[in-house]
Amino acid sequence: MTGKNGRNADGMSEDQYAIHSDAQAGQLKALLLKDIKRSVFVYRIDCGGCNGCEIEIFAAITPIFDAERFGIRVVSSPRHADILLYTGSMTRSMRLPALRAYHAAPDPKICVAYGACGCSGGIFHDLYGVWGGADKFIPIDAYIPGCPPTPPATIYGFAMALGLLSQKLKATHHVEGEDECVQPRHPQVPLDLRIAVEREARRMAGYWHGKRIAETFLDFIEPNDEQGAAQKIQVYLAQQDDPRLAEIFGKLQEVWTTHAQGR
Amino acid sequence: MVLKLIKQVIKVGEATVLYPFTPVEVAPGFRGRPQHDPALCISCAACVQACPSNALTMETDPDRGIQTWGIFYGRCIYCARCEEVCPTGSIQLSHDFELAVMNKADLYERADYRLAACRRCGTLFAPAKEIEYVLALLEQAGLSGQTLAERRSLLELCPSCKRKMDLHKMVSLYQEADE
Repeated sequence: MTGKNGRNADGMSEDQYAIHSDAQAGQLKALLLKDIKRSVFVYRIDCGGCNGCEIEIFAAITPIFDAERFGIRVVSSPRHADILLYTGSMTRSMRLPALRAYHAAPDPKICVAYGACGCSGGIFHDLYGVWGGADKFIPIDAYIPGCPPTPPATIYGFAMALGLLSQKLKATHHVEGEDECVQPRHPQVPLDLRIAVEREARRMAGYWHGKRIAETFLDFIEPNDEQGAAQKIQVYLAQQDDPRLAEIFGKLQEVWTTHAQGR
Repeated sequence: MVLKLIKQVIKVGEATVLYPFTPVEVAPGFRGRPQHDPALCISCAACVQACPSNALTMETDPDRGIQTWGIFYGRCIYCARCEEVCPTGSIQLSHDFELAVMNKADLYERADYRLAACRRCGTLFAPAKEIEYVLALLEQAGLSGQTLAERRSLLELCPSCKRKMDLHKMVSLYQEADE
C-alpha cells in the first residue's frame, strides 16, 4: 500500500485517511436523525462486488418502487451525499478509494453496509484479496443484508437508517430444554420409499423445489389407502393448477406404485 | 394529443407500490430469511457443511458440554442449501426480507445443544438429541426389542471406543478361526 516514505500513489500519507470520531459530527448526526425533514442523497461505493447490489439499488429508484418519492436520490459525487452506501466485499485495492469517499462526504453522514458482502464479506469473506466487510474500515451505522437485498428491503433499510421505521430483527439465543425430542417425519412412510420419492422429486425439480414437492407428496401417502390418497392428490393438483407439478406428482405416484408392487 | 396521453395515463393507473406504508406482496418461491426452529433442530451440522458462505457455524465447548449452532444473517446468500439438507425440517426459508439492523449483533442467532458423553470413557462426542433421533429413525425402519437395545449401546460409544470394541471382536474372531 505505502512506499518507504509512508506515502501512497496519491501522495497522501496513511494517517490522512485515518477516521477520528468527532463529537460535533456525532451531535449533527443525532440532530439530523432526530427529526429528518429533508431529502437525503445517496452515493454508492462498489468496493468489489458482483454488481448484483447495484442492479437492485437501481431497481429501487425505478417507478415501481420509486425511492425518490421519499426524497432518496442517488448522486454521482460523495460531496453531495448524506448516505454512503458501501456495496461489495472490501477488496485490497478498493480500501483507499472507499476511505477517500468517506472523507469527501460532508458531515453529518450516514454509512450503510449493503448486501451480504458489504455486511461481512459475504461468500467472498475468506478470499486472499478480500479484507472483509465495509465495517472493517468504515464506521457503519446500518446494515442491510441480502444477496442482493430486494428493492423493498432496500427501501426498508433506508427508512430504518433514517429512523423512520423500527428494526424488526433481534438477536436470539436458544438453550436446549430438558425434554426436547425430535421424531422422524412421515412415520407412516417406509424408509426406502421415502428415499426413492425424495430422489425422484429432486431429480425432476432441483434441490429446493424438489425437497418441498417431496415433502408435500409424502404427506399424502397412506400405505393402506392408495385409492383415497390418489383422490386427495387429484384434488390438490386441481387446486394448484400447475402442469409441471402434475407431471412430477405423476412420476412420484409411479415410484409409489413400483414400491408397493415390490413388497 | 395531450388528451389522448392523459386518457392513457388514467387507463394504466399507478404502477408504484405503496410499500412501506402497506405490506408488499412477495412472489411465490421467494427465498427470504432462513427460519430456524430450535426445538426441531438435532444439531447434526448438516446445514453447516452445506452452507457455501459459512453463514452457519457450529462451535463445540467441551468445558460446558454444549454445542452451539449459529447463523449470521449478514453473510447468508439465501441459497436454501441448508433447507435442502435438514433432515428434520428445522430450518426453512421464510418470506421475511426486512432484515436491516442498526446493530450488527442483532444479525446473529444462536442455539445451544447438550453433548452426550461416551458410555465407556466419558468423552463428549455427539449431541444427545442427534443420538435420540437416530434411534427413533432405526425404530421407524423396523428395529425393535433386543436389536434396538444393542444399537443403542453401540450408538452411545464415542468413535475411538467403537474402534477398540471392534478390534476386540476381530481378535476373538481370528482366534476362533485359528482354533
